[in-house]
Amino acid sequence: MSTARETRLLMISPDSNITPDVLARAVHTMAENLSVKETCYGCLVEADAEVMKTIISKVRADYRNEVFTKRRGYPAGDPRRCRAQHGTRPGFAQLEAEWECLPLIQHALDDIDAGNTSYSETVRKKPLPVSELKKICEEFQ
Amino acid sequence: MKVFIDPPNSMILFDLVERFGHEPLSSMAVIQEKVDNIEVDMPPMNVTLEDVIKGLKYAGIEVPSGIRGRLALWGPMIDAADAAIVIENPPFSFGCVGCDRSNELTKYLLQRRGIPMLTVAYPNDAEGAKSMVGQIKEFLDNLGKGAKA
Repeated sequence: MSTARETRLLMISPDSNITPDVLARAVHTMAENLSVKETCYGCLVEADAEVMKTIISKVRADYRNEVFTKRRGYPAGDPRRCRAQHGTRPGFAQLEAEWECLPLIQHALDDIDAGNTSYSETVRKKPLPVSELKKICEEFQ
Repeated sequence: MKVFIDPPNSMILFDLVERFGHEPLSSMAVIQEKVDNIEVDMPPMNVTLEDVIKGLKYAGIEVPSGIRGRLALWGPMIDAADAAIVIENPPFSFGCVGCDRSNELTKYLLQRRGIPMLTVAYPNDAEGAKSMVGQIKEFLDNLGKGAKA
């Protein structure tokens, strides 16, 4: 894996009170030799792998369960992805879908931090067997 | 430990695996390799001959090229993984996972490797989210213990 550059996407949970501007300014002060680009959902951060480790641990310390992160393949402002250059943005639908889910994840993590680790496994829906369907149909006849 | 995540571009899974102390294997890192080192217009949508050949290890020649292309990226990560977490039924528009055959083949390859694997569902409510995060945390905590033993 390439270690020269690491680009991260930091996304703020919709239930958080911090804004992308606050996050971008805070990240700027966390280390040297990094570049930050404010976005609608949070910010993009670019640095080498070691600096990035420091930044992520500081972000997790300051905004524990409010900011989520993942790596990004393309550098910030790459013309192949940048909106200003009419680049395609194939990851947007996925980011939007997960953004909607983040408050649920945030509150689940808050619960775990508060020591409430119990959970009940969700019951998986199974397809209805044909015999069962037949029985239901016959009941209505 | 290296944990393969499926959907391989999921931010929630990437974040949770890293938060609970393991290394997530995601498609973003392999795409970066192509962005940085290979002169193609639009990785991962443009591939090289090398990728096509690499994909043949995981999917036969008769398999549609899209599946082979996806597995050229995901296959080596599945080989390198010590464990895997799969979220079932992601939204159809969820990045690159609209191809159900690729998803089926990915799960088959994971099961064939016989590594510890957790399957969870995308949450719709607070209870579901607690169940999902709780299961992932427990799975990853036990993974660490298993490695030390």
